[in-house]
Amino acid sequence: MDLLSIVGNITIVTGALVFATAALGVLRFPDAYMRVSAVGTAGGVGIVLIVAGALALQPSIPNVVKVALVVIVHLASSAVGTMAIARATYITRTPLEHFEFDELADATPGSSTPVNSHRSGDRCERHDYD
Amino acid sequence: MIGVDVGIVIIGLACLASAYRVLRGPTQADRAVAGDLLLFGFVGLIALFGIRAANEYTFDIVLVAALVGFLSALSLARALTRGKR
Repeated sequence: MDLLSIVGNITIVTGALVFATAALGVLRFPDAYMRVSAVGTAGGVGIVLIVAGALALQPSIPNVVKVALVVIVHLASSAVGTMAIARATYITRTPLEHFEFDELADATPGSSTPVNSHRSGDRCERHDYD
Repeated sequence: MIGVDVGIVIIGLACLASAYRVLRGPTQADRAVAGDLLLFGFVGLIALFGIRAANEYTFDIVLVAALVGFLSALSLARALTRGKR
């Protein structure tokens, strides 16, 4: 077992643990917005670590090119996809835990009423800074 | 190759957790988010099973999955808002 194989195994287990933290967040967080945060942070880094560790176990020149493409494409696109889901979550007025005020009400087109205003509308404070 | 086996087990458990959230999620947004994590887990499982089987086309499949998974997240977002932008 040479050094590159050991580094690859450690990197793969690290990426799998990042995935485990994301799955723990999806299970335990009380709110869809917090789950979006967990998935968007860990999904990008987890795939990159796992593919880099897999490259260390099968090293060759074409694999280096493919893994570089995978890392660039995945880091550029996964966060965009997750944030599209987060924006759709806000537009569909998903209920929010510990709702205090809605900073996005004026910034997002198509959602004039605040999220969850039917459940805690009395505590809804609209801050206008201009 | 013990790290590959440990990684397969951990990512399999993560996929089970996100499948539970897809089944039980109280809102549709929870199901969409858990489906996104399930896709990422399957890409990782493809990479690890390909390494374990010593297949030479592993990284081609992972590259295609990384390109197409972006479209799946966008279409989940569009389906969540029923086509409204």
